[in-house]
Amino acid sequence: MADEEAAHKQHRASRAGASAAGSKLKKKKNDRGPSTKQSNPKAFTFRSAVRAKRQQAVSAERQQRKLHVPILDRATGEPPPFVIVVQGPPQVGKSLLVQCLVKHYTKHSLSNISGPITIIAGKHRRLQFIECANDLNAMIDAAKFADLVLLLIDGSYGFEMETFEFLNLLQVHGFPKVMGVLTHLDKFKDVKALRKTKKQLKSRFWTEIYDGAKLFYLSGLIHGKYSKREIHNLARFISVAKFRPLQWRTTHPYMIADRFEDVTAPEDVDANPKCDRNVTIYGYLRGTNLKKTMKVHIAGVGDCSMSAVTLLPDPCPLPSAAKKRGLREKEKLLYAPMADVGDMLYDKDAVYINISDHQLQFSKNCENAEKTQGKDGDVGETMVKSLQQSKYSIDEKLQQSFIQFFKSSAIQSASDSEADESDESGPEKDDAMATVSEDGRLRRRVMFPNEADEEGAAEGPEDVNNGDSSEDDITGEGNGDEERIVHGEGEGEEEGGEVEGEEGEEEQENEENEDVEMGNALQWKQGLMSRVGASKSNVNLMQVVYGHVEASSKDKDFQEDISDSDEELFKPKRQASKDTVAANAQNIDLEDCSRLTLEVDDWHNQEVIEAIRDRFVTGDWNKASQRQKGEVEEDGTVYGDFEDLETGEQHGAAENHEAAERRLKKLALRAAFDAKYDGSLDEENKEVEGPKEKDYFDKLKEDMELQKQRNAAELQDIDAATRIEMEGFSVGTYLRVEFRGMPYELVHHFDARHPILVGGISKSEESAGFMQVRLKKHRWHKKVLKNRDPLVVSAGWRRYQTLPVYSLEDRNGRHRMLKYTPEHMHCIASFWGPLAPPNTGIVTFQNLSNSQPLFRITGTGVVLEWDQSVQIVKKLKLVGYPYKIYKKTAFIRDMFTSELEVARFEGASVRTVSGIRGQIKKAVKAGSGKEGSVRCTFEDKILMSDIVFLRTWTKVDIPRFFSPVTTLLQSRDTVWKGMKTVAELRSEQNVSVPVNKNSLYRPTERQPRRFNPLQIPKALQAALPFKSKPKLSAKRKKPVLESARAVVLEPNERKVVSLVQQLTTIQNDKAKKRKLEQRKKKEAYTAQKAKEEEESKKRRREEIRERHRSQAVPGRPLNKKPRRNV
Amino acid sequence: MKGAQHFRQRLVLSTLSNTALRIDDIRADSEAPGLCDFEASLLRLVEKISNGCGIEINETGTKLRYKPGILAGGRNLVHDCGTGRGIGYFLEPLIILGLFGKKPLSITLRGITNDSRDPCVDTFRTATLPMLKHFGVPIEGLELKVVARGAPPLGGGEVVLKVPIVPKSLTAATWVDEGMVKRIRGVSYSTRVSPHMANRMVDAARGVLNRLLPDVYIFTDHYTGSESGKSPGYGISLVAETTTGCILSSECVAMHSGASELQLPEDLGTQAAMSLLQEIRLGGVVDSTHQGLLFILCALCPEDVSKVRVGKLSSYGIKMLQHIKEFLGVQFSIKPDPATGTVLLTCVGSGFQNLYRKVS
Repeated sequence: MADEEAAHKQHRASRAGASAAGSKLKKKKNDRGPSTKQSNPKAFTFRSAVRAKRQQAVSAERQQRKLHVPILDRATGEPPPFVIVVQGPPQVGKSLLVQCLVKHYTKHSLSNISGPITIIAGKHRRLQFIECANDLNAMIDAAKFADLVLLLIDGSYGFEMETFEFLNLLQVHGFPKVMGVLTHLDKFKDVKALRKTKKQLKSRFWTEIYDGAKLFYLSGLIHGKYSKREIHNLARFISVAKFRPLQWRTTHPYMIADRFEDVTAPEDVDANPKCDRNVTIYGYLRGTNLKKTMKVHIAGVGDCSMSAVTLLPDPCPLPSAAKKRGLREKEKLLYAPMADVGDMLYDKDAVYINISDHQLQFSKNCENAEKTQGKDGDVGETMVKSLQQSKYSIDEKLQQSFIQFFKSSAIQSASDSEADESDESGPEKDDAMATVSEDGRLRRRVMFPNEADEEGAAEGPEDVNNGDSSEDDITGEGNGDEERIVHGEGEGEEEGGEVEGEEGEEEQENEENEDVEMGNALQWKQGLMSRVGASKSNVNLMQVVYGHVEASSKDKDFQEDISDSDEELFKPKRQASKDTVAANAQNIDLEDCSRLTLEVDDWHNQEVIEAIRDRFVTGDWNKASQRQKGEVEEDGTVYGDFEDLETGEQHGAAENHEAAERRLKKLALRAAFDAKYDGSLDEENKEVEGPKEKDYFDKLKEDMELQKQRNAAELQDIDAATRIEMEGFSVGTYLRVEFRGMPYELVHHFDARHPILVGGISKSEESAGFMQVRLKKHRWHKKVLKNRDPLVVSAGWRRYQTLPVYSLEDRNGRHRMLKYTPEHMHCIASFWGPLAPPNTGIVTFQNLSNSQPLFRITGTGVVLEWDQSVQIVKKLKLVGYPYKIYKKTAFIRDMFTSELEVARFEGASVRTVSGIRGQIKKAVKAGSGKEGSVRCTFEDKILMSDIVFLRTWTKVDIPRFFSPVTTLLQSRDTVWKGMKTVAELRSEQNVSVPVNKNSLYRPTERQPRRFNPLQIPKALQAALPFKSKPKLSAKRKKPVLESARAVVLEPNERKVVSLVQQLTTIQNDKAKKRKLEQRKKKEAYTAQKAKEEEESKKRRREEIRERHRSQAVPGRPLNKKPRRNV
Repeated sequence: MKGAQHFRQRLVLSTLSNTALRIDDIRADSEAPGLCDFEASLLRLVEKISNGCGIEINETGTKLRYKPGILAGGRNLVHDCGTGRGIGYFLEPLIILGLFGKKPLSITLRGITNDSRDPCVDTFRTATLPMLKHFGVPIEGLELKVVARGAPPLGGGEVVLKVPIVPKSLTAATWVDEGMVKRIRGVSYSTRVSPHMANRMVDAARGVLNRLLPDVYIFTDHYTGSESGKSPGYGISLVAETTTGCILSSECVAMHSGASELQLPEDLGTQAAMSLLQEIRLGGVVDSTHQGLLFILCALCPEDVSKVRVGKLSSYGIKMLQHIKEFLGVQFSIKPDPATGTVLLTCVGSGFQNLYRKVS
């Protein structure tokens, strides 16, 4: 030890350079602290009250900003696997990342990634990896179901459009957790450039998500894989990630199909390959509970109703809750039916094990070797071998086998010996049936139950027909320990799957607690008596209300037994079933009245009064509280219809209400406490600040927790079948959903790489209506959106094309139509479509094709309101011309066409072009003028040349059109074609934009207005003063003297003049020549310039064309990848 | 669906669940086939408070097709309920539909305020409206005002109903504790008859109730002039309030016994008091009249467990349970509590939300 210590080198702080300067500065700062302030900083925290107040305000503000309205997560039990979507532009390494992660978790190398891959990542965590295809439709769907997004970015290239499109989609559909992953970093040779790029990309990533968002760097490939260490780190972060509940998803159930089967009868398909198909979809239920009657939307197909929903055992269950660290190798399961890994397939009534052909070779030839090996061999292997040795088929065995009804009766059969044989080899499965499917692959059908393993008592292959439940249950109950009945899982419609499973377990328990169950016949009856007493009345009431209620099979069996065996023991006083029949036969036109006429007892009778004395505060409070507890013995007096058989023990179930409430509160508090100390940082901060008094937020959360506990408490003692009936299938269960009559294209074009999203929709979202959406054109979309141009909208689970009408709300609440969306402002878009509830995010596209270089998202928004009608108006100007003018009254024609129209506008204000205001009075009587002429009054006399107009508003109709985007019904590489925009149609048909000539601006041509000369009457003229009199003097006819006389020059002067003239002529001529020359030069220059310009233009066009060609062609060579740079 | 039975339940649930409704054979075998005038009036009322609903009735009125629109609500609406049924017939569906509208509802209803078949407006005011607060309905805007009293057969009464909208959804209720009756209140009214009648009813009722509880106070309410409607009549409505806030009600309205004479006020008072005691004896957190409303409120809650206790299941309540299952897909678990002779009902709400409300 001492040596080791001595070996350590002392740290030597650098004395020069940047780090030394930095440390010095830091030191200085530290030094300054205590020296400038007091030596005891705690004693004098604040010296300025203003500053203290400000600080307090700032911290309070920060705290409040952190708060969000808590969302109640009603899910109980095991959560479904978290969905991890791996998304990125093409060729960025998505598949490789999934492969590496799966390899990291399960030690399993996947060759192809198609469909969801479920793995067990920890004791309490399951993950489902889904690779998002490079298709806008797939991206939209992925954004709706992702819990965590691994956003892959090509570091050597930078961000691409797909990344930002996907981020925008995520933001609109509830923002799940996002982690960035930078790949292709090995392409950087220069470390400095690498560091700089990392920094740049990180800062951009942070602005897009939040400061401090996690960004991983995968430095490069080692043997074609990412570095193990880096993948390990990434996996660590995935496994501790917390997922926030999202509003939409906590209110809607949804499933991601991890298996998809076509179950149409093959003969139908043979007869008509395009017949409607029946398909089944398997997957974990997420979001919230799913009810059987619910309608669902299959993204890319449309709304459909489920014809059957079945609960299946979890194909990838979490390991048992034994106390140990980490996972055992065996528990690291992988389930990916679409990727053809994982050998187990779970179906409604069977489990299949897939064995690929090349693994089948060893069975026969190494038989002897196996025997010598003894028990060391693999268990599964030996089981398979033993099965292969069996000579008889299942049917033959069935014929030979016997069923043993009672423990005491010992029946030996061939099957028993066989079972013993297999027992020795320790099989995992009870029974297996090998069938070779048409394609030659061996499919081996396993009859359930898989819980029976621990017992080790495997049984012979008797397959009791499960159709008649009474028989098989009798056998099940009468069974001893040697024999057991094999049940298919959830075989009958009348029996829920897990009920059966429960029973299977019960049978195992039989051996332990025989006295509780049926040891001998007498006990059996006794036990039954009390149980039936409790359950019967319950069932009866349910039956009265709901008719043949789906009670648990147990109850039903008991009832059957009752009727069979000894009727005198169980004599129901009230015949329940008759009521339902009677109710149906009742008068269907019964009066609709909520009041019930009670048969009134004689309340003058003292005894009768005493019976309810304790229901009043004047009575005995003790007895009253006992009544609440249900301890009072009130045989016959209260409710004559009940059996006397029931005594205290059943009533004990009705627990003291207050105590129950207290217990619930305690549970809720504990849960809240657990949630608080889950190691989250901000909670710790709170703790530092010291204990706070409960504020509104805390109370809200506590109430929610209390409600959750209450739900759990109420539901736990209800049997499973009823529970499913009440609350639906619970979250986290594995379901098989069957759909009937689906279009054949769904099967024909099925591609596992595009996961199928099945989302439940509530009753009110099923119908279509008008929606008002607050919409904003996306900043990055180059053009504004045109009114009534088709737009693909993604809202809720759905994608559909619709025709929006844009509008803005005026200050007086009027919605005024807009021709185009504003550039940088929100506007209201109203459209017809399947309804999405208010506050749902919406994202719009114009074109879903993948070959556009531009940003494809055109706008984002949020649903404000639903309605069945929308008031959007646009301006309307009615124009009329006066045909008769009195002083201030004028008759206007051509403004209206009928008297009826006029009647609508009586009293409306009109205006002339010159600005004279007026009012519409009344229509002109028919016959006296043109039809629809109207009398108006104005504030001044108008001219005949005036135009009168009436400004008003007219309602705009919103087209009732929407069409679902059915991308799953076509092959994945074709572009979905919907309604075309007007511009597309015009360019296609080569039609120019129609121009109304009258709407064009022309140069105004005004005739010069000629006025008549002013005429002044003679009398007036005479009266005017001279100043104002018109001066009317006649025009002079002879020229004046100056202009008439000739000018004669002197000879000298003439010489000068002629000289000057000559000089000027010469100069003018020179200037003219120069000008000509200049013009010539300029012409040559411009010609040259134009030529050059033409050439460069040509070159540029070629370049652009080249680029587009390389980006747009779908069938491009693989090594060339299109880039859509940002 | 067939027949005119439980017309209101079907209409309300169809509107709330937004499913189209088709009823055939409405009184097809009766001598007056088809929809009655009060049913037509109810349809008109629903049309008034909703937007875009479609109602189709065939010529004889025996077939009805109803496609619900969205519930708009609105202020200053007026509806004439006619004299076929009391206003209570219209109030029951209206109060539920009003809660889930786009805007708060305020409506004036004219017709018969007190009727022997339907709960009278006094019971509504004193028993029904307080019930809603257990389910998180904002109690401020909830109001029922009796402007004028109208007795059968001619009516002439007028009430103003104001229903607020629920901001998002109701809240689930665990409401199983009946408590003990701590006070009994009531209203005894008389219109176009001697004001003495009211006092006689009060005396008779007190005579029965005072043997169990001293805290009995029954208001007398006499109407004259324009507020008194078109026909003479009198009646009494009693409510018993328990220590846990449950309210049980009973009522009695004077009817023409035999040819012309109205029943004796003493008989009415006794009868009302006795049926109140009967309700108390049956137990439950609400009386038999309000069972249907209670169930529908439970079913409209968010996806939490509601638990309520009622006395004996009424046939109306049972039918409501069936309709709730049919329209909303909510099934109740029904357990009798043999000790008290009551029935405990548990359900998980349908997650219904007020989606018509505009968000800003």
